[in-house]
Amino acid sequence: MRPATSAGAVVTAPLRWLARATDVPLSAWQRLTGQRGMIALFLLPNMAIFGIFVLVPLVINLLYSTTGGTEFFLSDRPQVGADHYARLLDCGNYLDPNSCRDDMFWIAVSNTARFVFFQVAVMTLAALITALILNRALPGKGFWRAVFFFPVLLSPVVVGLIWKWILQRQGLANLFMVELGLEPVNWLTDRLWAFVAAVGVSVWAHMGFYTLILLAGLQAIPRDLYEAAEMDGTRPFRVFWRITLPLLMPNLLVVIVLSLIRAVQIFDEAYVLTGGGPGTSTMFMTQYIYEVGFANLLRNPGLAAAASILMACVLIVLTLLQLYLSRRSGAK
Amino acid sequence: MGAITLENIVKSFGAVEVIRDVSLDIPEGELVVFVGPSGCGKSTLLRLISGLDQPTSGHILIDGKDVTRVSAADRGLAMVFQSYALYPHMSVRQNMAFGLENTRMPKAEIASRIEEAARMLEIGPLLDRRPGQLSGGQRQRVAIGRAIVREPTAFLLDEPLSNLDAELRGTMRAELAALHGRLGKTMIYVTHDQIEAMTMADRIVVLRAGVVEQVDTPLNLFNKPANRFVAGFIGAPRMNFIEAEDGRVMGVRPQHLRLADGGLAVTVDMAENLGAETLIHARTDKDQPILALLPGQLTPTRGENLSLVHDPADEHWFGADGLRL
Repeated sequence: MRPATSAGAVVTAPLRWLARATDVPLSAWQRLTGQRGMIALFLLPNMAIFGIFVLVPLVINLLYSTTGGTEFFLSDRPQVGADHYARLLDCGNYLDPNSCRDDMFWIAVSNTARFVFFQVAVMTLAALITALILNRALPGKGFWRAVFFFPVLLSPVVVGLIWKWILQRQGLANLFMVELGLEPVNWLTDRLWAFVAAVGVSVWAHMGFYTLILLAGLQAIPRDLYEAAEMDGTRPFRVFWRITLPLLMPNLLVVIVLSLIRAVQIFDEAYVLTGGGPGTSTMFMTQYIYEVGFANLLRNPGLAAAASILMACVLIVLTLLQLYLSRRSGAK
Repeated sequence: MGAITLENIVKSFGAVEVIRDVSLDIPEGELVVFVGPSGCGKSTLLRLISGLDQPTSGHILIDGKDVTRVSAADRGLAMVFQSYALYPHMSVRQNMAFGLENTRMPKAEIASRIEEAARMLEIGPLLDRRPGQLSGGQRQRVAIGRAIVREPTAFLLDEPLSNLDAELRGTMRAELAALHGRLGKTMIYVTHDQIEAMTMADRIVVLRAGVVEQVDTPLNLFNKPANRFVAGFIGAPRMNFIEAEDGRVMGVRPQHLRLADGGLAVTVDMAENLGAETLIHARTDKDQPILALLPGQLTPTRGENLSLVHDPADEHWFGADGLRL
């Protein structure tokens, strides 16, 4: 016998033994439950992981949101029913956080809504423009694509730290401004600039991913259509408006919904960059939940759980929208 | 209107010269077919005429005016693409109107042109459908309709029937020829299908490796091919070539061979029965392949010896350089 064969036999022997050993119970299970039972069996490991790490925490969170106090175990926590929800949703005017019982929650909601609006708008536009440029015959096209995608690979904490280093009072940005004879700017300590920085850094960090989605969409548009438009003497803006944009719309919708979902969850890079400040100007919903549940001196895990359930409701609606849009574009 | 002249056209992609010094005169109203094997440059030549690509050197004239550096839109030509290039998100009506809207044509004029083209091509009931809801043949008509409404000086058609099945291709071929007769406009038609070329063309341009091998009427190309390449390319099944001792080559078409004693002795390899006729694949004693298209349903066996004769008037002689003698 050749050595390679004997080495191979040694390696595969335990596997063959395992296959034979599992064959008996698996055959018995199939006889007992049929094909559906086998499907369930093979799905079980994944479903178990999903259940343990997603479903069970979700249910515990839901139960937590109906309890009070600071105890850890559910059995030790007093029932408060829907009190937390009532507190969070008790508002004189939903557009004025100061009229709400939990004004911090509504400040966070209002900040998040503003952040989502600006971040999604700016990022979608920036990703679209970048994709349009990268789709042209550009020297070093691969390099530029890598440059725009690179920030996506960075950890959000690293992104936050890099930009904090650039934007802080004695940071790189101000160093350049002074060199150019300009007044330094309080990027992270001015309410408006801090918010702009949070939006800008988030756009920088995530844009590459959405640019790739749009670039794939642009490349799927047949060249013939542009040539037909050229033969027809169509002006570039009309080509974009009447051909490119409608044909890119399925990708654009996916980009908008995915970035909405992501923007609602904004936390890490903004928290590292501004810590929610100055004041509460960059405090977003996830930071509110984190601070109420874990960081504040007066911890209130039940209230944080209720806030996270409300946020989950928003995310579920957005996810369903995204599923609907991808099925619709798949059906086309 | 619609006379097209090419003067010494050269087109290179990097170091590769795909069109080599092509000159051609296409008079107004003619249907000219560019034909040749894959990669011969026929589509490239059409794109140069259209203005979608620029020649490396040479001039393109339309009605005597040099349009070499004129944009595609301003050449007054319309193109039908192989893929039809219909805008998938627009209705047939919008597809046909799109080019006219660019010229700021009044809406009533656009509507009347669309109605007229739709009537001519019998696509009236399809006007409000989208391309995705149409069959291949219907899309093809819409693509032609989109070209017609522009009332161009000439039509450029890039393998417009290649995506259709054989039966539909036959029908559309006849319709296109009839349409050319009705419109009376210059048409340049690119195809690799020599049946399309033979049945539709006023004149055929045979291209090989970016060079024009011959320009002539379909029957002249068939009867008097200028060289061995054209002789082999035009006509199906392809012409037989038998090398003579003096270096010359005799060509004879498979249709011109018949069975009779005292002729060329061949051994049968295979026979394809086509119903009305039989195509025999054979070889001579010098191992030269021979095709013979014989009338009737014959069933020769492999290895059987046959004798094939032909009329000397059907011979085509070519020199060692491949040119017709």
